[in-house]
Amino acid sequence: MNTMFSEIAWLIPLFPFVAFLLLLASGRSGQGLGVTIGTVGSLASLVLSILVLMEHMSDGSKYYQDGFKWIDLGSFQLNIGYEVTNLSALMLVVVTAVSFLVNVYSAGYMKGDERISTFYSYIALFTFSMLGLVLADNMLTLYIFWELVGVCSFLLVGFWFTKPAARAAAKKAFIVTRIGDAGLLIAILLLFWYMPDHALDFVRIENVFEGQSGTVAAGVTTLIAILIFVGAVGKSGQFPLHVWLPDAMEGPTPISALIHAATMVAAGVYLVARTFDIFQASPAAMETVAYVGGFTALFAATIGIAQNDIKRILAYSTVSQLGYMMMALGLGSLTGGIFHLFTHAFFKALLFLGAGSIIHAVHTQNINEMGGLGSKMRITAWTFGIGALALSGIPPFSGFWSKDAILTTALHENPVLFVVGIIAAFFTSFYMARLFFLVFTGRPKGEGRIHESSLTMTIPLIILAVFAIGAGFVETPWNNTLGEWLTGAAGADHSGSGLVMVVSTAVGALGIYLGWLVFVKGTIARDAVSSRAPWLVGLLERKYYIDEIYAAVIVKPLRGLGSLLNAIDQYIIDGIIAIIGGTAVLLGRGGIRLQNGQVQTYGLITVLGLVILIIAVVGRRFWS
Amino acid sequence: MISELPILSLITFSPLIGIIILALLPRGSSRWLRVTAIGTAILPLLLSLWLYADYDSAKDGKPYEEQVTWVDTHFDRLSDGASNSLSFKLQYHMGIDGLSLPLLLLTTIVALMAALASVHIKKRWKSFYIWFLLLEIGMMGVFMARDVILFFVFFEMTLIPMFFLIGIWGYMGREKAANRFLIYNGIGSAIMLIAFVLLISTAGFSIESESVQFFSGSYDVIKANLMDPQAAVNAASAWNGNYGNLFMSESMHWTIFILLLIAFGIKLPIFPFHTWMLRVHTEAPPSIVMIHSGILLKMGAYGLLRFGIILFPEQAHEWATVLAVLGVINILYGAVLAFVQKEFKLVLAYSSISHMGIVLLGIASLNEIGLQGAMIQLVSHGLISALLFLIVGSLYERTGTTELGELGGLARSMPFMSGVLLTAGMASLGLPGLSGFIGEFLSLLGLFESMRILTAVAVLGVILTAVYVLRSVLAITFGPMQEKYVALRDARLIEAVPMIALVAFIVLIGIFPAVLTEPMKHGFDTLLQQLSGKVGG
Amino acid sequence: MLSSYLMVAAILFCIGLYGALVKKNAVIVLLCIELMLNAVNLNLVAFSKYGVGASLTGQMFTLFTIAIAAAEAAVGIAILIALFRARGTVNVDDYDEMRR
Repeated sequence: MNTMFSEIAWLIPLFPFVAFLLLLASGRSGQGLGVTIGTVGSLASLVLSILVLMEHMSDGSKYYQDGFKWIDLGSFQLNIGYEVTNLSALMLVVVTAVSFLVNVYSAGYMKGDERISTFYSYIALFTFSMLGLVLADNMLTLYIFWELVGVCSFLLVGFWFTKPAARAAAKKAFIVTRIGDAGLLIAILLLFWYMPDHALDFVRIENVFEGQSGTVAAGVTTLIAILIFVGAVGKSGQFPLHVWLPDAMEGPTPISALIHAATMVAAGVYLVARTFDIFQASPAAMETVAYVGGFTALFAATIGIAQNDIKRILAYSTVSQLGYMMMALGLGSLTGGIFHLFTHAFFKALLFLGAGSIIHAVHTQNINEMGGLGSKMRITAWTFGIGALALSGIPPFSGFWSKDAILTTALHENPVLFVVGIIAAFFTSFYMARLFFLVFTGRPKGEGRIHESSLTMTIPLIILAVFAIGAGFVETPWNNTLGEWLTGAAGADHSGSGLVMVVSTAVGALGIYLGWLVFVKGTIARDAVSSRAPWLVGLLERKYYIDEIYAAVIVKPLRGLGSLLNAIDQYIIDGIIAIIGGTAVLLGRGGIRLQNGQVQTYGLITVLGLVILIIAVVGRRFWS
Repeated sequence: MISELPILSLITFSPLIGIIILALLPRGSSRWLRVTAIGTAILPLLLSLWLYADYDSAKDGKPYEEQVTWVDTHFDRLSDGASNSLSFKLQYHMGIDGLSLPLLLLTTIVALMAALASVHIKKRWKSFYIWFLLLEIGMMGVFMARDVILFFVFFEMTLIPMFFLIGIWGYMGREKAANRFLIYNGIGSAIMLIAFVLLISTAGFSIESESVQFFSGSYDVIKANLMDPQAAVNAASAWNGNYGNLFMSESMHWTIFILLLIAFGIKLPIFPFHTWMLRVHTEAPPSIVMIHSGILLKMGAYGLLRFGIILFPEQAHEWATVLAVLGVINILYGAVLAFVQKEFKLVLAYSSISHMGIVLLGIASLNEIGLQGAMIQLVSHGLISALLFLIVGSLYERTGTTELGELGGLARSMPFMSGVLLTAGMASLGLPGLSGFIGEFLSLLGLFESMRILTAVAVLGVILTAVYVLRSVLAITFGPMQEKYVALRDARLIEAVPMIALVAFIVLIGIFPAVLTEPMKHGFDTLLQQLSGKVGG
Repeated sequence: MLSSYLMVAAILFCIGLYGALVKKNAVIVLLCIELMLNAVNLNLVAFSKYGVGASLTGQMFTLFTIAIAAAEAAVGIAILIALFRARGTVNVDDYDEMRR
């Protein structure tokens, strides 16, 4: 038993946090310091994370938990704590590794930006929050960091805040994920009141829900699971809350790699994985997860075909891949989901950083304005190609193995979703082929000298490319290391995986071939579809008009309601007050009329009053 | 040592020193007037911090009670023999417990920050600061008074300075706003006074000895009588045969409870009594809005808790749903309206309504979690809105406008202030790690025990809050910057200090809520015993 | 006997009251007030002669009242003249200074 490093695992998020505080304190004066402080902070976390992971890979030590009482509520209390499980140890390494590489990369990418140290402080804060999220040992802690990563994402998307598009994107990112967060919040409230002892920690959640023990009623379980999933949908950009993720590409590209590809958006998947027992206790919730995931995978992949912005294509691809992970989880394969998360983190970060390298060189994001970059940016082209192949699921790249694991499960559990997955895989390889061929082959379109990015940018690409190739071998049909290590159970049923491999490879290759035919060889005209079915292309380009629908169905009515209530507030509520006040004023006016200065009137009234008084006094005797 | 001093009176009346000094200073020397006022505002803060440090929640504030009989009017009863004499006692009775201590601290903190923020006041400094300090005395007194009449006196003491502070130093529509303020709050006070008189004349009765009986507004006496009405009725009947009829009948309870709800509801403000406060928010000088939104609104919630909920737990239980529905209406109504406002101050005004809805939810939960949530939300919103209006003041000073459409991109010229504004906005929308989250979360958590659906609806407010906060804050800080704002300078030291201090408090509560929950604990224990004892038994 | 006196006094008082409230000429209003006063005097004298506890006190009071009424009339007329000089009218309706 050795938990030495796990015991100090709380230090892992602390390093970037200290970096953040230092950068915050130094303000604008720490111009050059930013890069150093941020990078060193994330490096320290990376080293410690690797040590923790190695500790967990060795036999014996499996689990460590610690925490403190946060709010004492008399009969119950809320805790903040952390725990290290195999899953979180793995995530720690993914997060810190990508974060470190992005830190290095940004030194080149953001060079010369006057707010670079602010940028680094945001990244440090994000890394801190993300690591906190990963380490959280209960739902409340997780929620706290869940929100914090959301804010960091918001800050970084809006980093170039003077651009109206960035402002809108940041706002959208925050608000749309907040909708999901509201679901998660309600789920936490439900858990708090339904769990025995009001416990919120994952260990007890697992104990209660494991094997549908019936401690919590089935309906409530489903409700909790679905609400948690709503939170995950928001964060992981699943349909129908996916709209923020492509817009979030307004942020600096390293951020897209770190937050909107590798780590934060995977938090939804991670959340579902952490609370997997709740989901497993509810078949309805599992189905929901699987179908939403499957639908998103296909849906986003189709949009990806028609986009022209390099980062948007990658963003939709992220949405689609996250859909795969959700689908895997929904089909009951924790291993498949996490495995794909793991490989995806590397190859998608690679693709984004590669895209960053390209954008840095050509200063445009429109792939139609690029071309022929392959010869000028060799490292970028090669590494990008590796990432693209991994994403397309071509063996032996990592994406192949993880996608294969998911599809195998799908074949066993739900043939419909298997078909969906295969079609999505085809679209994926097609749009990646389109992207790659348009950018790297053909004739250069832009003028100006284009050259390869600096070493600080290319080295992270190379490292990530290595991972994109190699990360898949931790779990293959013949070798269930990851699955056994994660779940503690024997490997999944892999029968039929041979068929799946053949089919998925064939589909991937077909997509690439088709892309090659269209965009390189020109055998099939590029406007083959757009000339015949312009509505279809329009539909895809406009992303199925989801944004427009939301604007019409939610935003406009809300604004209308606001204006209506505003009118009510001003005219009716204030009006009633005005009427009451006005009545008092009118009464006063009436009184003024009597006050006419005529002594005779006063006298008359006095006499009248006297008469009434006398009548009253005398009359009482007669009546009673 | 501290318990030997009349610390509560010292805290409450320490601003008097400043008032005297200010009265002696010449009216033109703005600098010295300002220094004196700020210096004086530090005094109660230090004293209350000392009190906080010394406070032991287990003793429930007993060592600090101060009690002096203030007015004692005897009146002999005509019908009975001379053996019975009845008197009416008014007591100067100050006390502090878990409910008032956090709010006292809030008051002293926000008052100091507002005094610092008053650098933007351009005229008649002398009378401004005198009114200001009077206002502070009133506010602190409200939170510590343990006698309903004394409470009323302090409550009124806040109205008059506020009236002048709005009416003289406000913006264009200041007179109208001041009038609106006075009328609404006057009506509220009148209703409150009726309720208090009813309280005193029914439950304020106590028998000191065989021959001395008196009516008083003593909170403890009223509470004891209401806790055990039968004993009180018996005692009173023994003394005077037919007293029990009126004494605390069910309908009388309801009457008083509803009167109190309206009186404090106007202050809180509960929809539809909120329109007065919009004007105050837009027309009063920002430093005064800091006080108003930061503390005066809290007096409504405090009064509701102290007099409505604690004294009438049964009624509160029966009306918990009503309170919760009112809270949800406040939250959603405020949020939707904040979303369409074009003026930043109005956004903040509606956001205050929305946030006070959360307080109502916490109160409506009637369990420890929710009530703690409500209290934390009070303190937190006090700090946050003080911070926001502090920024509004500085912003208006520089740009001359608070129209959202005319601002934009200020993060470029004023990174510090924009950062603080963003932080305040984040705190306001309930970001974990900042104080707003704790209050919001605990209130919702508490309410969820009894009212699931309502809570779920209230959570919608969480989304809407994000929408309107981001919309307005980003409209100011993000986006393209207009030419005329390029040369704006960032916060000066005297502005930056209160901003940093408030942010620090917000973060402190957000990360270590125990600083608030610990002293509150014991106060709530007794409160909950009362709640459960009355209803359960 | 008493009732006839009282009746006359009451009629006199009512005439006076009517005039004081209705007449527009200030001089006539003053005269009417004198009428009311004298109605009171008549009452006093009647009570002092035929009342239950008849005594001379009532008559003495009447003398006082007459003296005071004379003084009052003098002052009233003086004010009236002053007013007339200032405003050029004796119409009571025009005297609405109290309104301001």
